Formats: sequence, C-alpha cells, structure tokens
Amino acid sequence: MPTFDFATLFWWGLPLAAAPVVIHLINLLRHRRVPWAAMEFLLASQRKFRTQVLLRQLLLLALRTAAVLGLVVALAQPRWRQAIGGLLGRTSTSHLVLLDDSYSMGDRSATGLAETVTESADGDTRPATAFDRGKRVIERIARDLSTAAGSHELAVGLTSAMASAAPRGDAVSARPPLIVPPAAVTPSALQTVRNALADVRVSAGVDGPREAIGPATNDWMAGATAGRVLWIVSDFRMRDWGDTGPAGDVLRGLAAEGVELRFIDCGADASAANLTIERLEVVGGVPAAGVLLPVEVEVRNDSPLPAEGVVIELREDGGSRPAVALDSIPPGGSATRRFDARFTGPGGHVIEAALRPDVLPADDVRRTVVDVVERVDVLVVDGDPRGGGSDGDAFFVATALAPGAGAPTGLAPRIEPPRALGVADLARFDCVWLLDVERLDAAEVAALEAYARAGGGVVFFAGPRTRADNVNRTLFRDGEGIYPVPLAGAVDLLPTPAAATPVPDVIVEEHPVVTVLAGQRNPLVEMVRIDRFLAVERGFDEARAGVRRLLSLRTGQPLVVERSFGDGLVMAVLTTAAPAWNNWARGNPSWVVVLLEMESHLARARRRAENLTVGDPVAVRLEPGVDEIDVDFLVPPDGAVVRQSAAGGSAAGLESRLPAAAVPGVYEARWKRLDGTERTRLRAVNVDPAEGRLERVGRDRLARGLADVPFRYDRTDALDTATGSLGGTSLVVPLLLVLVGVLIIEQFVAYTAGYHPVSRRPSGA
Amino acid sequence: MTRGSRRYLRPDAVHRIHRLELRARAVVEGVLAGLHKSPYKGQSVEFLQHREYVRGDDLRRVDWKVWGRQDRLYVKEFEEETNLRLTLLVDGSTSMDYAGSGDRPRKYDCAATLAASLAWLALSHGDAVGCGVFDDRLRAHVPARTRRSQLTCVCDVLEAPRNAGPGDFLRVLRTAAETLPKRGLVFLISDLLGDRDGIFKGLQMLRTRGHDLAILHVMDDDELDFPFDGPTRFDGLEIPGQLACNPRALREGYLAELGRFLAEVRTRASTARSDYALVRTGEPVAAALVRFLSRRASMAV
Repeated sequence: MPTFDFATLFWWGLPLAAAPVVIHLINLLRHRRVPWAAMEFLLASQRKFRTQVLLRQLLLLALRTAAVLGLVVALAQPRWRQAIGGLLGRTSTSHLVLLDDSYSMGDRSATGLAETVTESADGDTRPATAFDRGKRVIERIARDLSTAAGSHELAVGLTSAMASAAPRGDAVSARPPLIVPPAAVTPSALQTVRNALADVRVSAGVDGPREAIGPATNDWMAGATAGRVLWIVSDFRMRDWGDTGPAGDVLRGLAAEGVELRFIDCGADASAANLTIERLEVVGGVPAAGVLLPVEVEVRNDSPLPAEGVVIELREDGGSRPAVALDSIPPGGSATRRFDARFTGPGGHVIEAALRPDVLPADDVRRTVVDVVERVDVLVVDGDPRGGGSDGDAFFVATALAPGAGAPTGLAPRIEPPRALGVADLARFDCVWLLDVERLDAAEVAALEAYARAGGGVVFFAGPRTRADNVNRTLFRDGEGIYPVPLAGAVDLLPTPAAATPVPDVIVEEHPVVTVLAGQRNPLVEMVRIDRFLAVERGFDEARAGVRRLLSLRTGQPLVVERSFGDGLVMAVLTTAAPAWNNWARGNPSWVVVLLEMESHLARARRRAENLTVGDPVAVRLEPGVDEIDVDFLVPPDGAVVRQSAAGGSAAGLESRLPAAAVPGVYEARWKRLDGTERTRLRAVNVDPAEGRLERVGRDRLARGLADVPFRYDRTDALDTATGSLGGTSLVVPLLLVLVGVLIIEQFVAYTAGYHPVSRRPSGA
Repeated sequence: MTRGSRRYLRPDAVHRIHRLELRARAVVEGVLAGLHKSPYKGQSVEFLQHREYVRGDDLRRVDWKVWGRQDRLYVKEFEEETNLRLTLLVDGSTSMDYAGSGDRPRKYDCAATLAASLAWLALSHGDAVGCGVFDDRLRAHVPARTRRSQLTCVCDVLEAPRNAGPGDFLRVLRTAAETLPKRGLVFLISDLLGDRDGIFKGLQMLRTRGHDLAILHVMDDDELDFPFDGPTRFDGLEIPGQLACNPRALREGYLAELGRFLAEVRTRASTARSDYALVRTGEPVAAALVRFLSRRASMAV
C-alpha cells in the first residue's frame, strides 16, 4: 500500500489536477472571433472530423490531467511500505530506537570527518565517539519524523538498560529502560529528545543490541496496530554480530511480523590500535602483611601492528609506584609482565594498572583488590600421637612454612592432632596438611572432603603409619574419595648400581609448583635421596583419573601427585615430610621453596579475588548473629552511598548485595557488627576486556549472517535522512519516469490534434 | 476622375495591361473584321483609325501603304472592331466583404480593381464596357458604352454603397442573359461562394445566348490557406452560424473540402467553356490579370 511522505502536499495539490480542464474551458471563452465567408467548407470539415477531434481533445485533457496529478503525487513523495498503514487507513507508525551504549561505543577512532564534541561550557572539545555519532543520528531521525507525513511515535532506549526485563543498576547508576518514552514526535517535542540524549553517556557494560533486542521488543510488539520500525544504532562489532545466534531469530520474528528493520552503523571504518588490560591478578604468595606478592598484568594488542614499549602505570592504594613496561606486544596477541607488591597492613588493598588512554579509554585501566591479613593460618595435622618433636613431620613442615621472623611468609602453621578435623572450623585455614595420619574417622573424612570441595587445599604426607589398605578404603574409595591415587604399599627405592651412570632419585615434572626446580642438572634436586616411598597400585591410569605429577622417581613411579577435588586441590607426597624415608628436609633449600609453592598453589583457589565485571552484583557475606544486616555500598567514582539489607536463608548464608555494578572501580562495603565494630570489604569491578576487541563485522558479513532477514543498513555519514530514513521504497523515480512518458504522449497527441504551431504552408490552391 | 476611379485604377495595373488586346473567343454581335470575329461578315464598316500592328492581327488588315511610307506596320480599325461588348458582373454579396489579416484588401475591393482594370483595357481599345454589381439581384449597373466617361461610370457603380446581402447568382445571371442586348464577353468576378448549380446554370444561359464567358475567382489567402490557430470562433458571413473550434484540428478537412470546391469550379467552368482564373487577394491584381490575359491570348492563337 503506498503512502506519502508529504500527504498534506498531496491533498492540497490534488485539486490542481482539474487545472487542464479549467484552462480548456477558459480558452473556450477567450477565443478570438473571425467573420468567415467560407463557412460551408469549415462546417463540412467539422461534421466529418467531429468525433475524431472530440476524442483527441478528451485524450489530451486526460493526459494533461494525469501529468498534473502525477507531478502532485511525485512531489508528495509516495512510498511503498510493507505493513505500515496506507493513505486513508493507518498512518501511525511506532519507532523504537535501540542505542548501543556498550563501552566499545566509546571508540574515539576518527572517521575522516574530523568530528568533535564540545565537552564543557568553556568550549573544550574532544574527538567524537561512535556513541556521539549515534546520538546525533537519533536527533536526525527525530527531526525527520517530526516533519514526515502521518503520525509517528518515537521511543529511545539504551541497550544496557533494556538487555534484561528487570531494572538493573544500583540506585545511583541505574539507567531507565527508555530514555525517551513513547511519545508523538512533533517539532515541539524535539527539544525533549535532545535533552534526553544530551544527558546519556556510554556505559561501562557490554550489553549491546544483541542482548537487548528480545527484551526491548517484547512489550513494544504487544497491542497496537500501528506500523513499526526498529532502529538499531550501533557500532556493529564482530564480537556481537559475527554470530547472530538468538538475536537473528528475534530479528526474523520481527521481520515476519512486518517490522521494518533499520541498522545505523555509527562505528569508524578503521578503528585505530587499541590496547586492553586483560588481566591483573595476584598469582602467588601469601596475602599476609609484609609478604611479597607476585602480581601479573596482561595486555592485549588489538592492532595490525606490534605495540612497542608499552608502559603500564601502577598504583597501590592510590599511591604511585614504579611503572613497568612491555617491550613488544605482537599484533592480535598479548604480553604479560610480573611485578611484586607488598602491603604492610592488613585489610583490603587496591592495585591499579593503567595504560596511556587510547581510542578506547575504558579498557585501559584495571584494578584488583588484595585482602591482606596479619597472618594466614595453616592447619598441620600431625599423625604422630607423641607430637613429633623436633624430628617429627610437623616440625619440618611448620618450619618450612614459617621459617621465622627473618623470613616472614605470612603463614601461621597450627599443629593439631587428627581429631581437630572434626571440631575445628576448617574454613579459616588456608590449607590443611596431613602428615602421616594413620586413620581418620568418617566425620573427619567428611569434614576434610567438604573443605576441599569448597576450594580448600589439602596435602597428604606419607610415612610408616600410613597404611595403604586403609587409605584406599577410607580416603581413595575407588577414586571417589579425596586421596588422589590408590596405594600399593611402602617400597624401598633401590640405589643406583655403582657401575651405572648416577641418576637423581627425583625427577622434576612440568608443574608450576616445581618450576623453580626445573632445568638441567639442578644440584638441589640431585641432592635429594629417596629411600622409601608409598607405591601406587600398578595399572592405575593417572591421566584418566586427572592426576598430575609434580615429582617422579627415577624408577618412573610418582613421588608427588595432585588432583582436583571439587573446587579445591589435593596433593599427595608419597614419602615422609621428616627426613626419615628421605633426606629432603634436611638442609636442602628446595624443601622450603617447594613447600611454600605448594601452599601457595593449593590456596590460590581460595585466595583468588573475585573477578567482577560491570553488570555483576557486588555481594558481601555476613555472619548471622555477628554482623548487622544493613550494608552501605560506596559506589565509585564519587562514593555515593547505596544501602542494601542482607538477605539469606540459602546455602550462600547471609548476604548483602548490590544488584549490578554499573561503573568500574573499587566498591566499598561497610557494615557494623553487633558488638559495634565496623567492617569493610573492598571489591574491584572492571570492564569486560572482551568488549575492547574492536573488529567490525562489516555490512557484507552482517547480511550473510542475517540472510533471510530484510533490513536496511546505513552508515551515519551516508544516511539519507530526507527520504531513506523513513523506510519503505520510494516511488518517486518510477513515477517521474511514467510522468515523462505521459508528457511525451501528450505532446504527440497535441501535435496530431493541431495544438502545435506548424509551418504555414500554403494550400497549393 | 471620381474617387472610385482614383481608388480602383492603379497606374501600375494600367501600364501593364496597356499593350494587351482583349480578344473575345466567340463571335460577338457587331461585326468585327480582323481582330474580333463578328457574326456579320462582309459588311463594310467605317474606317476609324490606324493602330500599331500587334502579333496575331489579321495580315489582310495591314495598311501596306503606311508600311511603304513609314516602314512600320499598322492595321486599319473600323468602327465595327470596337463593338466588343464587355460586361463586368461583380459579386457584391456579403461574402465578398471578407478581408484577411495584414494589409490585404477585401475580396470586393480586389474584384472591383479587377473590374476597373478590365474596363479601362476595354475602353482604351474602343470596346464597350458595362458593369454591374450584384448580390441577390443586380444592385447597380451601367450599360455597355464606349464613351470616354464610361470608365468613370463603371467606377461609380463599383463604388456605389452596397447593402451587402446574400448572393443569388442564378437570378442575376438569368437577368443578365435576358437583358444584355448583344453578345459579348461577360466577366463574372466573384468568390463563387454560393449555389454553384445556380452559378453554372446561369452561366450556361449566357453561353446559350452566345456570350463569351470568363470567371475571375477571387478568394482571400486565408480562405485558401486556412492559417488559423488557437481557439477561434468563426462567424458565417453569408451562411448563418458559428463554429468555435481549434482551427488546426479542422484544417486538414477544410482544405480537402476547399480543394474539392476549386476542382469542381474549374471543371464546371471548363464544361461551360468559360475561361477561369483563381485570383488571390494577396496577389497583385496586375500580375493576376496579365497571367489571365496571357493565357487567354495564347489559347486564342
């Protein structure tokens, strides 16, 4: 059904179609009079050709009327629309604009048009971002609709707010689903649209049109019979549109319902190089006061060229510290740099890494929070009923974990008998070391396994009290239990024959714990002598069981193995801790190093800071009966306070939660305990680094991905707002071609009807 | 000279036709030897004068004595040679009042000029000339005479006020046939827009009575070319009626009808053994007369 972009012009111009008839009638009244003698010939001619003359006149009138009518229609700019209402019926059109506000829209890559945006009242300018271009095109859409034929209703929503049906965001940063509620677009309403757009900024989230289309259009599609146009204003990144997936299904459904789809690409064709801090985390050590913590920062280079000399600025708790640099990052690749951090006091500490701002500043900063404690408790379960003394396993393990004041490790070993497993709160311990424990009852096993499943680290040392059959029955349980491997029994390691080339008893495998010992001819490793060990049952498939070796014997049998158990890790050292079955702990520095690495490795899962991204909830767990339930969350960047009351009763316990972090930064949770003391907890929220991949999908690939979805794709710099922006197929050109044909026919008929001046040729008489 | 003679006798026309003699094709009453065929052969006539020999004169009339004396050829004219009676019938009906665009004269003015020119030619040769103007009847006329003042009388008749009405050719021509006392040459100068059957029936009556006939068919250029365009309303001058039309749309048909009319007139004139010439009002009168008289003279030889 055709409609008119300027229907008013059509109705006002329609009476002009009568102009040729009126002119013809006027001409009849304005004819000149000629007294004529030879009337008989004239009358004879008139009688003979009356019908022919009349038909030609009528045809001429009809053609001229059609030409005028065609011109009026062409000026009214007819348009063929699929489902939008026609000339006399439905002319109301509902427009929904989804503005992508994911943080990739903050891309400041130049488009070649030298666009800038005035930043402040002082006239400071900055390069325009894709988001700025998106806002501008929405203003143009609104302006065009305000003067277009028919009535138009416009609503504008941000994808971050519309990605889920429920309201998101904290009370401070929450974004309303629609920044412009559905309203008729009139010239007077344009300022409202402009004001609404002026107040919005690009978000720090990753929710783009793909996530928002479904929830955004559910309510919009319900009810009303108006025609619909869905505008998606986005930068169309490969990450979002390379695989259309469920979004493509939604778009197909919308198209099938007659919704006209318009994609407006506001991204820059060639994004400049973008560096992204992908990771910043503590990768080892014990988060105790005064202890060096190794920290790694990883930077990705989204560019076709290598990035050279990348400097990473570092800050600890807001204070500057020496920067680190990456010599070279290959194109499309990443590079990692490790540095050490040390915090003297307990509590939450913030490490911040920042790059020099590039085209996408949002992913150039990353933060992590380190919860530092005075000391980290480690439970050492001594299986020696006599306590061990200075020759016992516990002595050598505790001494290695906490050598003394001269070498603070932050670890505080607590030596307990096996029964402590059933009564102590294992959750407060960083790791649990079991040293040659003869037996554990079911409750103790259950507690230990629960602890490991929850992420705790457990180490078993063997010894003369360790009975293979007992371990297999109570701890291994055919692979269901916590013990990594089935045991065959204690075996002596026979010395190397004198005539043979000496081979170290211990072979270092590939494992991060023993990386420090890797390398050829490590004298510390060669010094270790194993006299006796617990052998693993023959035929046990370590790989299938998920068992990983740290150290092996020269005979090929495992000496130290590891396996995951739930969220935690479990290691089994198949020899004694004390230098009873070996000489390792006696004067060999590698003993301390390996034990400390083991402890750090086993505790990593518990120590790993939550990696929160924008949009994730920020939660703190509270102790019922200890903590008050009201928690104040200080929201960055200004520290605005949002109070949330804790809720609980689930397996997660009592928890206070900020529904979704809307901005990156460090969130601080404050609450009081019932005894009046204050507690705080820091949480670092970062942007999702994946959004920093700025590769664009391109029109062709987008069309292939949405092959059966009819849509129109335009770029902001090539958007035809005069006609094309309103959708439908313009009929102006075909109509003008028809009009030219009508005029040619009209001229021919006029010529044959004698309305054209001809050369005055004599009659020949 | 009356105002009519000053108006209708153009010096250039007089000059050009001065050297021509008018010859009648048929035998006229009043015996003429030599130049004119007279039904009264053999009668002697009184010598009137010498005139210079022109090609076509009967050599028997050459006065050889004069030739011997002056070495120039002269023929003798007798009084009977001047008895050619020229009767000019000029159509003064309403249709003759049409004047085309520009400075073309009315058809009546053109016809009157033709008549006056012919009268002068005839009178200069000693022929008798009579003239009548008619519409539905003979309104003004002067009988054929050779008097010196006859030209003035002819012009006065031509200029006499006309109460132009529709023409009735049959009545006028019948009247002329019945009243003309002697045979002579009758010129019908008209646009012939009327009852053509009546026209040629009347001409036949004249022919029956022995008159020599000539038709000078006067038509305006507009009537012949029909150059009109633009919305026009044609008001009939003789035929009552109006027609509002686009002239271009009817031009082709009009010209076809006109062509048929002219062809019919030529054919019927030929049948009636009448000389015929179409004279355009836009054409100089002298040229038209020269053309007519030359052709007539060549046919006479």
